[in-house]
Amino acid sequence: MDFTLSEERKMLQETVGKFFNSNYKNIDKRSENVNLPEGYSKEFWKESSDLGVISALVSPKFGGLGGSGEDISIIFELVGKSLCVEPFLSSAVLSSTVLSSISNPRNDLITDIIEGNLLISFAHCEMNNRYEDHYIETNAYLKNDEWNINGTKSFVMNGDDASKIIVSARINGDVNDRHGIGLFLVDNDQTLKRPYNTIDGYRSTELTFEDLKGELLAKDENALKCIIKANSAGALALSAEALGIMQICFDLTLDYLKTRKQFGKSIGAFQSIQHRMVDMMLEIEQVKSAVMLASSTFETDDLTRDKNISAAKNLVGRVGKLIAEETIQLHGGIAMTWEYSAAHYAKRLIMIDHLMGDSDYHRDRFKLLSNS
Amino acid sequence: MVIKMNFEYSEKDENFRKEVKDWLDETLPKSLSEKVKKYQRLTKEDYEIFMNNLTAKGWLAWHWPKEYGGTGWNAIEKHIFEEEIIKASAPRIVPFGVNMLGPVLIEFGTEEQKNYYLPRILSNEDWWAQGYSEPGAGSDLASLKTTAVDKGDHYLVNGQKTWTTLGHHADKIFCLVKTDLNAKPQLGISFLLIDMDTPGVEVKPIITLDGEHEVNEVWFTNVKVPKKNIVGKENEGWTYAKYLLTFERTGIAGVPYSKSALNHLKMISKRSLKNGKPLIEDPIFSSEIAELEIDLLAMEIFNLRTVSAAAEGKAPGMESSLLKIKGTLVRQKTTELLRKALGPQALPYLPEQFDEGWNEMPVGPSYAGPIAKQYFNMRKISIYGGSNEIQKNIVAKASFGL
Repeated sequence: MDFTLSEERKMLQETVGKFFNSNYKNIDKRSENVNLPEGYSKEFWKESSDLGVISALVSPKFGGLGGSGEDISIIFELVGKSLCVEPFLSSAVLSSTVLSSISNPRNDLITDIIEGNLLISFAHCEMNNRYEDHYIETNAYLKNDEWNINGTKSFVMNGDDASKIIVSARINGDVNDRHGIGLFLVDNDQTLKRPYNTIDGYRSTELTFEDLKGELLAKDENALKCIIKANSAGALALSAEALGIMQICFDLTLDYLKTRKQFGKSIGAFQSIQHRMVDMMLEIEQVKSAVMLASSTFETDDLTRDKNISAAKNLVGRVGKLIAEETIQLHGGIAMTWEYSAAHYAKRLIMIDHLMGDSDYHRDRFKLLSNS
Repeated sequence: MVIKMNFEYSEKDENFRKEVKDWLDETLPKSLSEKVKKYQRLTKEDYEIFMNNLTAKGWLAWHWPKEYGGTGWNAIEKHIFEEEIIKASAPRIVPFGVNMLGPVLIEFGTEEQKNYYLPRILSNEDWWAQGYSEPGAGSDLASLKTTAVDKGDHYLVNGQKTWTTLGHHADKIFCLVKTDLNAKPQLGISFLLIDMDTPGVEVKPIITLDGEHEVNEVWFTNVKVPKKNIVGKENEGWTYAKYLLTFERTGIAGVPYSKSALNHLKMISKRSLKNGKPLIEDPIFSSEIAELEIDLLAMEIFNLRTVSAAAEGKAPGMESSLLKIKGTLVRQKTTELLRKALGPQALPYLPEQFDEGWNEMPVGPSYAGPIAKQYFNMRKISIYGGSNEIQKNIVAKASFGL
C-alpha cells in the first residue's frame, strides 16, 4: 500500500497552492472577487488556465493533463483553502465531465474550457428537484428537426457569465421517470437570466428557456449516466474542497486558542476545550480518509465510484457541520464578524451540504448502492 | 395536600393571556409584525412604536414593582406576556434600559438617579446600551480594562467596549469600568452611567457574518463623566453587574421562539419536495423533527417548573444556566433543520429583501430567503449572555461539590 502522492502530484499541489495563495491573500481580496460583475475574477481564471490548473481537472483523453480523482481532490482541497469563487466546479468539472462522457465526446469544447476561452455551465438543478439526478420538469420537444427547450433551471453556478449551457430536459415520460431524459447544449444569449449571489459568496443564476433551440448531446440511459457522473464528480470536488476548508478552520481555531487569554491563561489550556479540538481533529482525519478512498476509485466502475463518493459527501456533511459550528463557538464573538476569515470558511462549509446532495441524500444513496 | 400535579394555567392566567393577545391584536401594526415575520431590518422607530404602545398601556416595565411604574406581575404572568408578544411577531422589547438597568437602579440607585432615569426609561426618552464586554474581556468579564480615573468632580474614562447591541441607536450606556487599577479582577470595578454624546465617545459598527449591522464597538477617549453618574458604591460594581446578570429572566430558554420556528419547519417540510413527495413524509427527516419537538416539549415543562417556582418566590439557581444551554441548542437545531429542509433553496441570498418595502419576486419560495441567514445569525446565542461553556462552569462549580 502507498498513501503518498506521486512526485508529479506533489509538485502540482505545491505550484497551484502557491498560485492560489498569491492571489487569494486574505478575505478582503476574496470579497473583491465576489463583488466583481461576473462574481469572480476573469483575470485569475485566465491565469489559472495558463498555469494548467483547469487542464489538471481533465483527462489526457480529452485534451487535459490530469482528470483523475486524485487530481480533482488536490485542486479542490486548495480551492477550499483559498475559498476561490472561480468557475472550477461549474465549467471545469461538471460541464467537462458531461462533454467527455457523452457518446461522441466534444473535445473541441473541452479544449476551449481548458484554455480559458469558453465558460459552460451545467444547468440540471431545478427549484423542486432537490438533489435528484432524474427529477426533471424542464422539457424538450422536436419540431422541424429542431429541439425546443422550455422551463426554468435553478442554482446554475456561473450561469450568468457562461456563453453556453448544458441543460437537462425531459423528452418524454413523467417528471420523476429515470428514462426519457435528454442533455442539450444551448447558447446562453437567448436565455432569461436572474443572477444572484449565494450566502457563501458564489454566483448562481435562475435560467428560463422559452422555445430555446438546443443541440442534443445525449439522451435516455446515456444522458442519465452523464448526469450521475457529473454530479458524482461535483460531489467529489466539493468533498475535497470541504476537507481543505476544515483544515483551515482547525488551524485558525487552534491558533486562536493559543493566543486568546481569559482567566489568566490561554483558553486552549482548558481540558474541555482541548477535548473538543481532538474530536475535530479525528473527524477531519476521517474525512481525509474518505476523500482519499473516493478519489482513488473515481475511475473504477460506476457503482464503486458512486458508493465511495456518497460515503465521502455524507461524512463531509456531518463533519462539516461539526467543524463549522465548533469553529465559531470556540472562537466566540470574533468568528461572528464579517471581518474575520473564519466566518467565511464556516459559511462555505455549511453551504457545501446544500450542493450536489446533502448528507441525507448521500446516506440514502450509499444505503442503496451498498446493498445492491 | 396536593394529590395530583396541575399542568394547566389557572382561569385568571388564561384571562390574562387573552387580555394580552387582544391588546396586541388591536395595537400592533400589521406592517410591523409583517416586517418581523420576514426578518426585515427594523429601524429605531419600529422598536419605538411598539415600546411607546407598551408605555401607554403601562406594560413596558414588566419586570418592575408597581410603585416604580411597573406591572408587578408574577413569573407566570411575565411568561405569558413574553409568549404572546413573540407569538404576535412584535419587535423585541429593547432590554437594556427597562429590563437591565431599571432593576439595578431600583435596587442600588440613589433617589436622585431613580427620579431622573426611571421615568425616562418608562417613557422611552432614553435608549440605553450595555457596556460590559471588551475585546479582552468576554467570558472572563472581570478582567475588563476600561478605566475611570477619579479627577475630583468627575471620572476620566478611557477604553473600549464591544458587541454593543444597537449601540448606534443609544443615547446612554451603562458601563463596567475599573476604578481601582491595582485591585484583583472582580474588585475595583464600578458601574457607571455615560451619555453617548459626551466628547470622546465613538461608536463603530461591527458587521456580522450575515452582513448585518446590529452590534458595535464603543470607544472612550478621555471621556469626562460626572461623579454623580456612578451607581452604588465605587469599586463594588461587580455586585450590581452580577445582580443584573442573574436577574430573573423567565424567557431565557426562548421556548416561544422555538415553538414558532417548529411550526414554520413543519410548514416548510410539507411544501418542500423530496423525490416529488413532501419532505415531511420522509421517515428520517420527520423523525428528526419529532425528536426536536420532544426536546422542546420537555424543555417547555422544565421552563414552566422554573417559572412556577419563581412565582412562589424561589429564586432560580442553576436552572437559569441549564435552560440557557438547552434553550440555545434547541433553537439552533430548529434553524439547522429549517436550512436542511430547504435543500438548495437555502443558497440564494438577496440582502435587499430585508429592506422595508422590498416587493420583488424572491428566488424560490418566499419563506426561503431568511433561513440560511438566520441559521448563521443564531450561532451567536450560544456565545452571548455568558457562553454555554461558561454556563457549564457555573453549574459545575455551584452544584457538584467537587
